[in-house]
Amino acid sequence: MAETVLVPQQGNSVESVILLKWHKAAGDTVAAGEILCEVETDKTTMEVESTASGTILKLLAAEGDEVPVKTGLVIVGEAGETVPEETDTSPPEPPAPAVSAPAAITRSAPTVENTAPAAATNPASAGAASPRARMRATAKDVDLAVLAGKGTGPDGRILERDVMDLPSRAGSSAAVTATASTSTPTAAAAQSPIREIPVRGVRKVIAERMRASLAATAQLTIHGSADARALQALRSRFKSAGVALGMEKITINDMVLFALARTLPDFPEVNAHFQETVIRQYTTVDLSFAVDTEKGLLVPTIRDAHTLSLLQISERARTLAMRCMDGQATADDLAMGTCTLTNLGSFGVEYFTPVLNPPQVAILGVNTITLKAIQGKDGAVEHVPHIGLSLTIDHQAVDGAPAARFLQELSRRIANLDMLVAR
Amino acid sequence: MPKEQIINPTEVRKGQMLQIDPIPVNQYKPDIKKERKTWGDERLLRAYYDMATIRLFETMLNTIKMTGEWEGISYNHAGPAHLSIGQESAAVGLAMDLEVDDFIFGSHRSHGEILAKCYAAIPRLDEKALQKVMETYLDGDTLRVVESAGKNSDIKDLAETFVLYGTLAEIFARNAGFNRGLGGSMHAFFAPFGSMPNNAIVGGSGDIAVGAALYKRINRKPGVVIANIGDASAGCGPVWEGMMLAAMDQYRTLWPKDVGGAPPVIFNFLNNFYGMGGQTMGETMGYNILARIGAGVNQENMHAERVDGYNPLAVADAISRKKAILREGRGPVLMDTITYRISGHSPSDASSYRTKEEVDLWRNSDAIASYRGYLLENQVTDEATLDAMDAKVLEKLILATSLAVDLEKSPRMDGEKISSYMFSNAKVEALDDREPEVLMPLEENPRVKQLKTKERFGIDAEGKPVSKMKAYQLRDGLFEAMIHRFYKDPTMVAYGEENRDWGGAFAVYRGLTESLPYHRLFNSSISEGAIVGSGVGYALAGGRAVVELMYNDFMGRAGDEIFNQMAKWQSMSAGVLKMPLVLRVSVGSKYGAQHSQDWSSITAHIPGLKVYFPATPYDAKGMLNLALAGTDPVVFFESQRLYDIAELFHTDGVPEGYYEIPEGMPDVKRAGTDLTIVTIGATLYRALEAADELQKTHGLSAEVIDARFINPLDLEPILESVRKTGRLLLASDAVERGSFLHDIASTVTQLAFDYLDAPPVVVGSRNWITPASEMEDSFFPGMSWFIDAIHEKILPLKGYNPVTVQTNVELIKRYREGV
Repeated sequence: MAETVLVPQQGNSVESVILLKWHKAAGDTVAAGEILCEVETDKTTMEVESTASGTILKLLAAEGDEVPVKTGLVIVGEAGETVPEETDTSPPEPPAPAVSAPAAITRSAPTVENTAPAAATNPASAGAASPRARMRATAKDVDLAVLAGKGTGPDGRILERDVMDLPSRAGSSAAVTATASTSTPTAAAAQSPIREIPVRGVRKVIAERMRASLAATAQLTIHGSADARALQALRSRFKSAGVALGMEKITINDMVLFALARTLPDFPEVNAHFQETVIRQYTTVDLSFAVDTEKGLLVPTIRDAHTLSLLQISERARTLAMRCMDGQATADDLAMGTCTLTNLGSFGVEYFTPVLNPPQVAILGVNTITLKAIQGKDGAVEHVPHIGLSLTIDHQAVDGAPAARFLQELSRRIANLDMLVAR
Repeated sequence: MPKEQIINPTEVRKGQMLQIDPIPVNQYKPDIKKERKTWGDERLLRAYYDMATIRLFETMLNTIKMTGEWEGISYNHAGPAHLSIGQESAAVGLAMDLEVDDFIFGSHRSHGEILAKCYAAIPRLDEKALQKVMETYLDGDTLRVVESAGKNSDIKDLAETFVLYGTLAEIFARNAGFNRGLGGSMHAFFAPFGSMPNNAIVGGSGDIAVGAALYKRINRKPGVVIANIGDASAGCGPVWEGMMLAAMDQYRTLWPKDVGGAPPVIFNFLNNFYGMGGQTMGETMGYNILARIGAGVNQENMHAERVDGYNPLAVADAISRKKAILREGRGPVLMDTITYRISGHSPSDASSYRTKEEVDLWRNSDAIASYRGYLLENQVTDEATLDAMDAKVLEKLILATSLAVDLEKSPRMDGEKISSYMFSNAKVEALDDREPEVLMPLEENPRVKQLKTKERFGIDAEGKPVSKMKAYQLRDGLFEAMIHRFYKDPTMVAYGEENRDWGGAFAVYRGLTESLPYHRLFNSSISEGAIVGSGVGYALAGGRAVVELMYNDFMGRAGDEIFNQMAKWQSMSAGVLKMPLVLRVSVGSKYGAQHSQDWSSITAHIPGLKVYFPATPYDAKGMLNLALAGTDPVVFFESQRLYDIAELFHTDGVPEGYYEIPEGMPDVKRAGTDLTIVTIGATLYRALEAADELQKTHGLSAEVIDARFINPLDLEPILESVRKTGRLLLASDAVERGSFLHDIASTVTQLAFDYLDAPPVVVGSRNWITPASEMEDSFFPGMSWFIDAIHEKILPLKGYNPVTVQTNVELIKRYREGV
């Protein structure tokens, strides 16, 4: 009896996937749990495992096709078995509503109810490395972060063999930069003055989202700045003296994330979702932040950011960013947050108007640090470094004054970040 | 099933009425003339002295428990005190005619019996012998404390203080106590004077005593053995089993006549009419008069009688008569010695189950007062003499108590030292220097001759397996170890179910019958508790016993004997006793839920047991040799899957000569580099198949280690392997939950954490019943379980599709469901 393997549901917001690459062809044998193909969702790239065993009778999609979730991908049966003319590849249940109203924040914790043995994964340990792998990495002077999400062990655990396959750090700069760098025009691309790039996958989603955002919201951006001396002082102390505490990697962006996460609960009007008939304000903070990847903009979310220490936020942000850049972010990593931070400061940008990430009602843009002339108490002017902040709000939900009050308080807290850390 | 006896249908189907001989009840008639002549006045007076000593000893303990003080001596005794106030006459009467060589085993309520037996032994030993016992016992530690109170040139008097102090210091858990405080009130004993272990398990002595009596009979040692057990223990299975084992016909029908007949054992039920609060006459038992149960055991009613234990001379008379019966080999004997416990079961007993009137009735017939009156009335002595005795008793006990409560003079043992008493770890070629009794020279034994023709390595020159018929098998290794020790150690006996003509259910003993007289190799009643319990008694009395339970599933029947007796007596005696006892059990298959379990993990959990489980002929022989040369209790597991397996590892074959496997040492059966597989028992061979498959299909080199030992176990070879491979899979046929393999897994994780590439994974049988033979593949770990577990949990194998479910999600589900 032929069986249809469906495109699995990947999180609530994913409606379809782009089929990137087949790993199997018609006529191949396949076992349940074996990888059929690679697909791209709006958020990440993933492998689809077969849920049936047997011979692949028919592929129901071609590379590059967009395939809705829970529809047929392949038909598996016994070799020689004929495929029914009208194979019903429609989903067994009506598809989930396109807009999962009201979009409460979904928290799909892995559940043990899932008893499909081969598919049972434990995202919590994705990126975990075995003690032996860690020992080996130290011996080889290899940074395990390079292998994040690439472990070949159970649940993606990084095993000794994964480390063994890596060149040591001395000879690995190429590998490391390859993952970290953005794409540069290749020689081949330079030959043609025009390069056509099909709009699909992440790019397609970005395009749709941005347009929808501008079309459906009333965006207003206000600009301010915060005294950055505390940030800079802390940053330099983390760099010089934070190694022992594992804090040397805390960046200025992490500190602004922290200040934002600690300020939003006091301003629920900007920590909110606007959904036509209802404004949903949150007292907890799931903080999204923009990550620049080869494929385009991705927005992962730090859950419960208001409960995390600065160090935890920093580590979490770094892990999430790494996974986004490696194309290994899960649907869960990319779930909708309550507010977003985007930072162009490293490129020297002084002001910009960030585009909202609906249904969120606020997005904070972080700019570069510039010297600002301040008149001191004695009347003398001194130049104090300030970090620019550009806050876009949805005026449908938030008025200008409360937004300004929020930005003022945020600036104050950033200026006193060393004290906020203690709060 | 001896062939020399025939079960004739004409005979057994014949109609008749079973006639049961009358059982005497309280037939003793006091006769002072005769008594003075039999015992002598001195002994009659000493009986009073002994009873007064016990009464005061128990009263002192009771007072200390209740008030924290006695005669100005303050002490808080936290431990138990099951006192025998009211029962002194039964204890003293029992001991009056006992020699030093006569053994008594007792119960939790045996302080009185220890004192009575030891006090009876002292006058029987000359001063030199007494001095030697005291100076050598526990390296003289006990004597030194007694002597610290002042030298006493009267050695017999000193010996009494020694006994009082040694017993009391034991009750108070002091290092100079008779068992260094490791036994305590309920287990105290003093073997040199014939007071053998007292047992806190009701009826626990009921089968151990039989073993000690077997030791005396088989090794032609002097003396009888008395099990002092309570009336309520008549409801305990092991007591019945002990009686059945003691009453087997074969002692008189099949054993060589010169051995002397049945084991000389008396089941002396000290019948105080209560089992804690349960009234055995009228409430919790149905015998009315306990002596009746002798009629249920053999044609002689076990020579049962009820004896008035409130008259010490009635008891002494009964013991004298019964000893004569035992000397003639006509045991066993049952005595229903009635007595009464005036004190509570323990000091916390409010006696809510009996009336004050009842206690008063017995108090008014108090045995000590009556006996005192009897002596005075018949002018055996006068008041002044008896009063002087009372005063002496008090003086001695004040001295012993003062010494025993004093933490400086009588310190406790450093707790860490207990570990040194768990095993004796000795090597003994023979436990006696007699010539072993055998029926033919070793080389003439038919199986020894037959084994000369066998191939001692299981693979021939062309690399092909030798046929089963030609191969030297695992069972042959066990046989060679057994027969070797039988020809070396005259005390060694083997018994159990189907041990003799059948040759053991699995043909391990085939050929032994030809070499060994009946009393060294015999079939027992199907009394698993008593098989092990008597083995315990045989071993602690000084002999080497190998007892067999056929299937390890039957260990449940012998739970107390394995877990509380076999495992504990070496340490509870502080090394005074040795336990050269090997319990052979086999792990079955194909026979369903009650005959196919591997319970090695259960024995691993009990401190005091050594646990061996060989899986190859070479190891089987070397490990049984090791067990049979030692002095510790060993539970020796065998697998029925492997009895016919040939030696596949030692290319030189199984040596014909004697050798031992180093204790606790796992063996690398196949070297490898990528993964370590540790097995216990028959899974070794499935692990090797898995290793072949890993090599062939996945290019992985697995190191396969047979643990061989469960306790003690040297982890170093396993750690060394894991440090190399970083990956560990463990497998046995024991069910996964509670498997000893988890202990190894977690310990290796602690010790080699940084070397691990994955958590160690345990593969065991399912947490189910063992299903029918045809369905066993779903229960016992098969080769594919190994590969699947490796793939899912340790090292995903490229392109591999698991055939069984070995995932973590499944593991959580099984735990949640409890299966």
